[in-house]
Amino acid sequence: MSGPADAIPGRAVHPAERNEWRAGLLFISPWLVGFVVFLLLPGAMTLFYSLTEYSVLEPPIFAGFENYAGLFRDPVFWKVLRNTLVYTAITVPVSTVVAIAIACLLNSGVRFSAFWRAVVFLPSLVPLVASAMVWMWIFNGELGLLNAALDPVLGVVGAVIGRDVLAPNWLGSPAWIMPALILMSLWSIGNAVVIYLAALQDVPAALYEAAAIDGVRPLGRFRHVTLPMISPVVLFNVIVGLIAAWQVFAVPYVLLGAAGGPDRAGYFYTTYLYDNAFSYTRMGYASAMAWVQLLVILVLTGVTMLLSKRFVYYRGA
Amino acid sequence: MSGGRGGQGGVGAVSRRAALGGLGAAAVAYAVLGPRGARDVPPGRVVIDYWEKWTGQEGRAMQSIVDEFNATQDRIFVRYFSMSTIEQKAMVSIAGGDPPDVLGLWSFATPTFAESAGLLAMDDLNDAFGTEIAADFRARYGDTRWVFDPERYTKPAWDFCRYKGLSWGAVSTCSSMALYYNRGLFREVGLDPDRPPRTIEEMDEASERLTSFGGDGRVERAGFVHREPGWWDWIWGHFFGGTLLSSDGRRALAGSAENVRGYEWLQSYPERIGRTRLLAFQSGFGNYNSLQQPFLAGQVGMVLHGPFLANVIQLFRPDLDYAAVPFPVASSIYDPAAPIALLEADTLCIPRGCKHPREAFEFVSFVQRSEVLERLASAHAKPSPLAEVSDSFVRTHLNRSIAMHNGLMGSPRAFVKPQTRVWPQYESEFIAGMGAMWDLRVGAAEELRGIEARAQVLLDDAALRHERRYGDRTLAERRPRAGSGA
Repeated sequence: MSGPADAIPGRAVHPAERNEWRAGLLFISPWLVGFVVFLLLPGAMTLFYSLTEYSVLEPPIFAGFENYAGLFRDPVFWKVLRNTLVYTAITVPVSTVVAIAIACLLNSGVRFSAFWRAVVFLPSLVPLVASAMVWMWIFNGELGLLNAALDPVLGVVGAVIGRDVLAPNWLGSPAWIMPALILMSLWSIGNAVVIYLAALQDVPAALYEAAAIDGVRPLGRFRHVTLPMISPVVLFNVIVGLIAAWQVFAVPYVLLGAAGGPDRAGYFYTTYLYDNAFSYTRMGYASAMAWVQLLVILVLTGVTMLLSKRFVYYRGA
Repeated sequence: MSGGRGGQGGVGAVSRRAALGGLGAAAVAYAVLGPRGARDVPPGRVVIDYWEKWTGQEGRAMQSIVDEFNATQDRIFVRYFSMSTIEQKAMVSIAGGDPPDVLGLWSFATPTFAESAGLLAMDDLNDAFGTEIAADFRARYGDTRWVFDPERYTKPAWDFCRYKGLSWGAVSTCSSMALYYNRGLFREVGLDPDRPPRTIEEMDEASERLTSFGGDGRVERAGFVHREPGWWDWIWGHFFGGTLLSSDGRRALAGSAENVRGYEWLQSYPERIGRTRLLAFQSGFGNYNSLQQPFLAGQVGMVLHGPFLANVIQLFRPDLDYAAVPFPVASSIYDPAAPIALLEADTLCIPRGCKHPREAFEFVSFVQRSEVLERLASAHAKPSPLAEVSDSFVRTHLNRSIAMHNGLMGSPRAFVKPQTRVWPQYESEFIAGMGAMWDLRVGAAEELRGIEARAQVLLDDAALRHERRYGDRTLAERRPRAGSGA
């Protein structure tokens, strides 16, 4: 919607246009008020707080860039940064590949596809805390479903190599915490699958027919037709996934509790930010972390957008 | 959008006027018919909001005391709100200038709130309202002794709320941690249930006998597992004479020789049992509040726990033959007259910015009355914070070892969590380091040195920030007064 100020310079604004503008503002005012009160103002205030020493209960004291400098000296900050980077670097590509693969399967004319689509999407509807509680038992080292399934396989492997191979203690061992969380992240890819499915159904059948006539094999058709045609959707999902992975909080917090489990192996950026703000009463420091996080997400998104120029094909562009 | 005049909407399009009218009608309906917060409050009463962390049986016990207070009143009405993460919510509400009138905090959180000027000093409230309320209590309940008399309490119970010379709350319930052991299992393996371990050496021997393995090498039962229930990862050095903070609160002492011995002892368990087997065994433990809790399920023969465990036992395994004794200590420091025990308490505090400090103080004073404190302690299966307890308190108490727990409250070597603002971070270092030590990936001395170094940075940083903010001004000088806002 363009406002009266955008009208042609020198042209008087017609009262009807002004009324339209006012009505438009009135209708979007709930969102505008929410945006200003719950996002813009708090965001601006965190920028201020990030330059102060602020414990919430005491008034802020200006501290310059001390909080930002403190981040670089804080070993826990580097630990959570590394954990979050590793998690993001693995979950985003893995969930992208798995989601596309499932979407392709659902798009391949499989029987009862509506049923399977619902099955894939259903986990996305389960609240995160409830999912985490279920997965806590699935990952249980002694009684968990996953290890119950792995045990016979590992028994055979053990017999072959001549020594005991024990199933992992998923949430109790620092080495296995990250794989467990990455595995669990696949649980909620239903959203992405549905979006990929819509994109796949939008690929013109004529392109596949032309490729088939030219003798292109299925894998080639996927590479040279499907992927380019759904690449804008892949870009969208990758960026959304990137941001979500950088902000991962609820699942590790529920699964691993304080400090992210042994060796802080499951301690992530947002969890540490939350702890600083509300458990350690260092809101200034937490605000600085929030701004660094925003910067990192902006850089990663920017790099992805730059790369997209090479890999993303826009029809009609 | 379809315009009100000359709009292009088709059939079923909503006009602007209709949309605005609909939204307005919805707002009016919400205002008229929407939720009402205080319908159950009798008219003319001053409403006191009380936030507490207790749920379930403990919450119901406090609710009954609130109900009793409300029933004896014609002027005040207390509303009890049970909530999780109470510290965070309290912090935000105090900073926002809209705190509850009464706040239930853990004793170890009180110094942080007091230091940040988040609480009103009980001493000030007592000076302002104590005499008047004492006279009212005499008339109403026949009380002959004013509740805020330090002589009424055991010393640790009174000290729980003391910080830098002032009281920042009143204790509601308190706990002393002890060794709980399964007498049936003791008998089963030939141990004398009436002669539980007193020293670490005796405990190791008992644990060894209680531990059993299945045919496939898996642990079937463990004598003792340091990480069950896993609430006090920082505690183990204390049973060897260690402590985590110097008396002036400025120096971290995690790496002291005593603490190292404590954690070397801890590591001897996964070494003996096998770390992989122990970790797998542990991961099968059920929740605290369930029949699958390992002590109740007979998976663990001995456990470091608080008196409140008796409530869970009563609920799920009333037939369990158990007892509790002071936690064993290194033989070199064993003294039956001065057992070493962690003490913790729940406190009732009045936050800065509270709207009704007088009424809040009256409610807190009511809870401090002897029979109320005893009733609350009984319902929570905890010892009494009072120096004198009634005969019936011990006789009818749910916890069969309550006399021992009461005794621990008076021990000269009983201790509380370190009173420092950075304790949550200090503790998180232990929680993180515990994984590596329990998993035998690092030696206790090395890990504790690391924890000490990191904790010292936190302490120095906190001291610097405190100096910069307050300079020489003492907490007593800068404390908030009733009526001061956020």
